[in-house]
Parts: sequence; structure tokens; C-alpha cells
Amino acid sequence: MVDSQDMVKKVFTQKSARIDTNKGEKYYNNLFEKAKQRLSILKKQAPLKDIDMVDVIETEGINRRDFIKWVSATTATLMLPSMFEPLVAQATELMNRVPVVWIELQDCAGNSEALLRSASPTVDDLLFDVISLEFHETLQAAAGHDADRQLEDAVEHFKGQYLLFVEGAIPMANNGMYGTIGASGETFHEHLMRMSKDAAAVVAVGTCATFGGIPAASPNPTGAVGVMDLVKGKPLINIPACPANPANIVGVILHYILTGQVPELDSLLRPKFAFGYRIHDNCERRAHFDAGEFVEEFGDDGAKNNWCLYKVGCKGPMTFNNCSIIRYNEGTNWPVGVGRGCIGCSEPDFWDKYAYQRPMAGANIKAPTGGVEKTVDEFGLGLLTATAVGIGVHAVASAVAGKKSEHNEEE
Amino acid sequence: MKTLNIIERIEGEAKLVCTWKENKISDAQIQFLNFRGFEYILNNKPALDALIYTPRICGICGQAHLKATAEALENIYKSINEPLYITDKAKLLREIGLNIEIIDSHIKWFYIFIMPDIAKLSKEQKYLKYEALKGESWRKGTYAASESIKALAVFAGQWPHTSYMIPGGVMSDPTLFDIITMQNYMDQTLHFLEKELIGTDIEKYFSFDSELDLDTLNATLSDFKNLCFENDLHILGKSYNSHITLSDTSLFESGRIEVKNRLLVDLSLIDEKDINTFKINEQKKENEYTWAKTALYNNKPYETGPLSRALISNRKLIKNIHKTYGDSVFTRVMARMDELINLVFITKKLIKQIDLSQESYIPAKIDLKDIESATSISTVEAARGSLLHKVTIENAIIKDYDVITPSVWNLGPGIGDKFGIAQKAIIGADSIEKAHIILRSFDVCSVCTTH
Ligand code: SF4
Ligand code: SF4
Repeated sequence: MVDSQDMVKKVFTQKSARIDTNKGEKYYNNLFEKAKQRLSILKKQAPLKDIDMVDVIETEGINRRDFIKWVSATTATLMLPSMFEPLVAQATELMNRVPVVWIELQDCAGNSEALLRSASPTVDDLLFDVISLEFHETLQAAAGHDADRQLEDAVEHFKGQYLLFVEGAIPMANNGMYGTIGASGETFHEHLMRMSKDAAAVVAVGTCATFGGIPAASPNPTGAVGVMDLVKGKPLINIPACPANPANIVGVILHYILTGQVPELDSLLRPKFAFGYRIHDNCERRAHFDAGEFVEEFGDDGAKNNWCLYKVGCKGPMTFNNCSIIRYNEGTNWPVGVGRGCIGCSEPDFWDKYAYQRPMAGANIKAPTGGVEKTVDEFGLGLLTATAVGIGVHAVASAVAGKKSEHNEEE
Repeated sequence: MKTLNIIERIEGEAKLVCTWKENKISDAQIQFLNFRGFEYILNNKPALDALIYTPRICGICGQAHLKATAEALENIYKSINEPLYITDKAKLLREIGLNIEIIDSHIKWFYIFIMPDIAKLSKEQKYLKYEALKGESWRKGTYAASESIKALAVFAGQWPHTSYMIPGGVMSDPTLFDIITMQNYMDQTLHFLEKELIGTDIEKYFSFDSELDLDTLNATLSDFKNLCFENDLHILGKSYNSHITLSDTSLFESGRIEVKNRLLVDLSLIDEKDINTFKINEQKKENEYTWAKTALYNNKPYETGPLSRALISNRKLIKNIHKTYGDSVFTRVMARMDELINLVFITKKLIKQIDLSQESYIPAKIDLKDIESATSISTVEAARGSLLHKVTIENAIIKDYDVITPSVWNLGPGIGDKFGIAQKAIIGADSIEKAHIILRSFDVCSVCTTH
């Protein structure tokens, strides 16, 4: 099996990589100094939990080398040059300085499930031991009224400091009667507003929380919307996909610890380090796309030879996400890896627009943006224009993002 | 006296409203207050799109929904007398996928939810290792679960929410290397079970015929047994003791048991009622208190799940335990763990049976679009019990989609003087902690219950 951590590093650091991650020496030097300062301040703060990464590594017998490998892959994922590796390692050790509150609304628990299998060192070590997860309904020890109290305490105690993670959409129809929570019967909407009021930043995890997700599929019986439709005036980060990749969740937390800021975002408030390029850009089947070799039908010779899945419905060319690199289940695999094709689950409206076996070729699908990207090679270009499909364009999306992203890192 | 409690640490949230008489629960209402409306969403969608939607009903048993959808669509072909040919390889990959999902779910449920809760009933130091998040056993359990699910990701692409099945077969074409990788993960899972859960090797476990055999071991199952007996959980949690299983697999047989006799199942006698259920776009009426519906067979409530499956397919150890302790919390949870052990064993065998030279997928001769109108049903054994999908399509467009999840059977509201399964099991408990544990013994999933 490909070692996903090695692969991640390779993709992000190779000169030939299709993603240009380099922002220039000046930028990085600047950021480096800032991160260093930030970490030294955090270090002085009392930990919220008395466990730290070094202990965990020693007591859990995690190989130091594996940890270093993880650090360097994560640094690459965050699109930072290798000089940041020692800082990322330090940030990992300081994860217990930042309180995290995780709430579930109109969801299927898929993201919590995915989180339980975050990349190694195992998530229990990383997230549950080190991060100060002040509240997570499903995973925490307390239940019932104790849990209610724990949540109230956390929000009160860490006013203005905690990161609020939201999983699930918010049903707005019929005064929110489709989702209520707790003993008082507070609606999901009221709950979200109350919890986000004093958060340092809000992170919407999964396509339900970001764009409304499957519950918002037509006719949207419960009036489901995403967090960004409701929470305003607050740093907000979207980590879509169904489920969101735990690597990106951990990445956002690490980035916050490292810099005290939200990462650079695109026009849909998605971190560019994860959503700044398309699945198609780094797909292992891309050579076949370029060569015009397509699976025409599941089970045919093309399928057996791992040809491109575009004609059987792959939405990779219009889907911004890093799963072709990070993969799922600790890098075990990803949909395209088993011949399934991408369904565009990190894009708004994927449920109605891209769902299953509607090949873009011949389907009445409008791409998120018009135009054609530079990096689409000649053959692909011909093919795409021939089938009258505007491809999701990185260049255009980024230009829009440049104008809109309010939460950029200061340079 | 009435009390209202919130049950968290299930998937989602439930409210438990109990009426107390002489320090015992005399009535219990289980409320699920989160709804998404999948059946409405599926209406008028292209039939194949259901393969993307239904797995997302639940982040834990998406495989089961995927298989149910794929097979419901295949049964459409059967209903017009043009059955599709599914190779053994595709069938095996589907069953293996489903088994692995159940394995993962059972490990997590037991180590993340059950053990921390019942360990809390005791003050003894040695049970601290089961504490949520911090305890060593909790961590080992989550780790084992996330390792075992990788065996699924190898050929399904990801978990949760994979969509590798399709009417006619599966999309993936695993290699010999993938097969070996899957075996390795299953071996690891077996090793975990032998070392942590059972405390002895699996052959020895299969020779057990009574719960007393557990006393010779020193592992989680023996701790579990002791905690149950110290807290009366071998007496508590009894419901009607009528059981149903809707489908057959390599491990399970379909059927139902009432009192003692094993009987056949006739799917047409299944009915879903919504008397106590909220309605969409309507003001709620006084008797409506939950989004869950009620599933009945021949107008009677039945329990579904690992206990029912063990009894109907005659698994020795559980049969014997059940003889003495009936459908108690202890029996119910033991049945789930026994199922886990059996599933790992059988899944290893199934992986060996895959013949890589067979096709993964054979296309249908008739396009769904050319089928004017047809209705079909499929049934699947999910982690929590039997799942049923019923679909009507017209020219490949969904006209009606009905999903009856296992949790609807077990957790739906009772009707009139007939209590629901879990409702009945809770009545009689003498503390709210125990009521929680009884409810949890059904492996509650609020998102599946309401969908
Ligand atoms: S985004 Fe997907 S994984 Fe997440 S809650 Fe929604 S359906 Fe489940
Ligand atoms: S269309 Fe899909 S399968 Fe083909 S190269 Fe692009 S992402 Fe990969």
C-alpha cells in the first residue's frame, strides 16, 4: 500500500506538483516569526488538560520516528515549507491550550465517526488526550444533565477562546421544529446562535454544516441551511465533504494553534490548503484522462485497468478537495481508488447537482464557474469543451476568493 | 412523579420521560426530536441517486442502507421477471463489507458506550480502565474499531459513506494484495477480541455453553458479566421476548420467534404506523411526541437485532443464556458480543472464498428507464437489526421510498396499551442510570430511528 504520509509530502513538496504552494520567502519568514511568538505565549499559559503530547508519545509507545513523519506530512498538508516542522511539532504539544467544543445538529454522526479514525498517531492520542475537547456529545464521558452542565460551563469558562465545531445542518422550517436539543427543547438554530456567540471561531464540519448537505436536498422538507447562512460577524471556516476528512479538521486546529488565525480561505470559506485545488489535479487516474482512456461502463476492461472514471460519472474535475492526496481511513484508500468516481461531496448542492451516475458528459450540469483552467491539457481541454461542460476553475475561483476572503493571514 | 432525562452518547440524542410509582418506572416515553425527511427527499429523484442518498441516513450503518438500496433496485428487475445475474464475488464483497461495518459498530458500541456506563455503577478501582476517553480499554476499543474498518476501505474506498455497490454488482475489483490486506486487518481484529474481549482463543470460546465459562477468564467479557450481576442487569431490561429477523446471510437465518416456536416471516404483514408521530408541515397534536414511527408485524411489536438473530439462528451460547435470563440487558449485550466474535470468524472465511477471476459487475439487459412502473422490497441485517427498504419507481424515477430501520422496531413508540419494545423493557427499572443502560442495550441510533 502507498504510504499516504510519504505521498502527501511528495505531492506538496515536489517541484513538478501541479499545485503551486510557494508564497515566497518573505511571507514564510514573517509567518515563522509570528508563529514562534504565538507558541511561546501559548506555552506560558497553563494547560487545560494535564496531558501533553510528549507524555502521550512516551507512554503510548508511539514511535518517535512515526511522529516526526506525521509532523512533516502535516506541515506539507498545511502547505508550509519544511522549516515549519519544528513549530508544527511544538504546536501539537500545545494542543491542550485551546478548548474545543463540538456540537451536533441535523446530522448523521458521519463526521464524528470519521474523526474517530484520524491519521496516526491515532486520534485518541492526538485529539482526545491532548486537545482539550471540552464537549462532544457522543464521545464524552458525561451524559444527560451532567452533559448539559458541562457544555454550559465550558462555554462560560472559555468565553471568547474556544473553537466551536459544528456538525450537521440547521432546520429552519416551521420555527425549527424539526430539530430540538436538550431538556428545554431549544431549537438547533437557537442552540447554534448561543454556542457561537462567544466562540473565538466557528468551524463547520461536513457538507451538512457547511452547505446544508443531504437534508437540504430538494424539496428540502425541513428547510435545512448551513452554518454560514446564520452565523455572521465571526471567523468561520468551512470544512465540507461527506464526511469531512479528519486530516483537514486536525489541520485547521493545528493551524489555529500555530498562528492564532484561521487559514487562508476561498470564496466558500474553505481553507485553501485543503480546497485550493481539485481532486482531478492529483488523481492517480489522471494520466488516463489525459490519454483519453475512459471506463465506459462499470466492470469493463477500462475499469479493470483503472482508467479514468469521467464518463461513468466522476465529478473530480469540478470538485475542490484534497482526498486524492490524503485519502480516507488513515490513508487506506479513497473512492476513485476503487473505481467509484467522485460525487463532488465537498461542493455546494452536490446532492442535487452531481449525485450519482450522471456523467458530466452529456448531463445538464453547470460547473461552479465558467471558463477552462490552464492546467487542463490539450486533450482534456478538447474533450471538456466538446461536451460543453465548463470545468470548475481553480484560477477563477481563486480570483474570487482573493476578493472575498476576509480572514486571510496578515502578511 | 414524572422525570425528563436527556440520553446522550448514543448517535444523536433522545429524551426519556419516565413516570415513577413506588420508586420504579411505571411508564416511559422515548422521544426523538431530530428529523431530516429522507423519504420526502428521495421522491422524484433518479433511482440510482438513491445509492448516494440512503447511505447518508446514518454515519454508522451506511453500508446496510447502500446494500438495501442496491438490492431493492435489483429486485425491481426480479419483479418484472428479468432478474439480474450477480456473481458470487460481488455478493461476497457486499456481505463482507456489511459484516465489517457491523464488527466496527459492535466494538465501538461496547467499548465507547456500554462499558463506561456500567463501569460507573461500581466504585471499584479496577474498572477505571473503562472510563470514557481516558480509560485504557476505551482507547484500545476505539483503536481496534478504526483498524478493522480499514479492511472495508480497502475495497470500498472510504468509510463512512461508501457507495461501491450498484445494481448488477460492485464497482470495485480488488487485487490479491487487497485480499491479503483485508485478511491482515481481520486477523488483527481477531487478535484484539481474543486478547481484550474474551481472554482466550476463539476455539475455546466456541466451546463455551454457559455464561459460567466466562468466570474462568480475565478479560472484558468477564468484567462485563460481573458488573451485570452486581447490578441486576441479568434481571432487568426484559421486553416481550418476541423476535424477528428479516433476511438471511451466512450467519443469520430469517424468521421470528414468539414464546418458543420458530416461524416464517411474511413481509406483507409488516406495517408502519404513525399515530404518535409528528407529521411534516403540521402543528403537532397532543398524542404526538416523537419523529419515530412504529413498526409492527401482524399488528404486534417485535424486537430485532443481535439477540433475535442469535435465537432464530440457534447459536448455542446465547440460546443457553437466554434460557436462564430471558431477554435481559445481560443477554442482549452478550448476544451482540457473541455476534461480533462469530462475524469476525465468518468474515475471515468469506474473504478466502472470493474468486478474483469472476466479474464484479454484469450490466443489466434492460435499462431502468424502460421499466414503466414497479415496486420492490429488500431486507438487510444491519448492526442494530433488520432493515427494510421498499421502493416504487416509474421509468427510473422514484415515486415512493419507504425505509423501516431496526431502531424503528425497537425504539418506536408503543400504540394504545401496547408498549414499544424498549419502552416495555425500561418499565420496572428502579433508577434512571439503569433505565439509560436498558435503553442503550438496544444500541440506540436516533438518526436511523427518525431518518
Ligand atoms: S455531511 Fe455527510 S457525513 Fe456529514 S452529517 Fe451530512 S450526510 Fe453525514
Ligand atoms: S475525471 Fe475523476 S477519475 Fe478521471 S482523472 Fe479526474 S478525478 Fe480522476
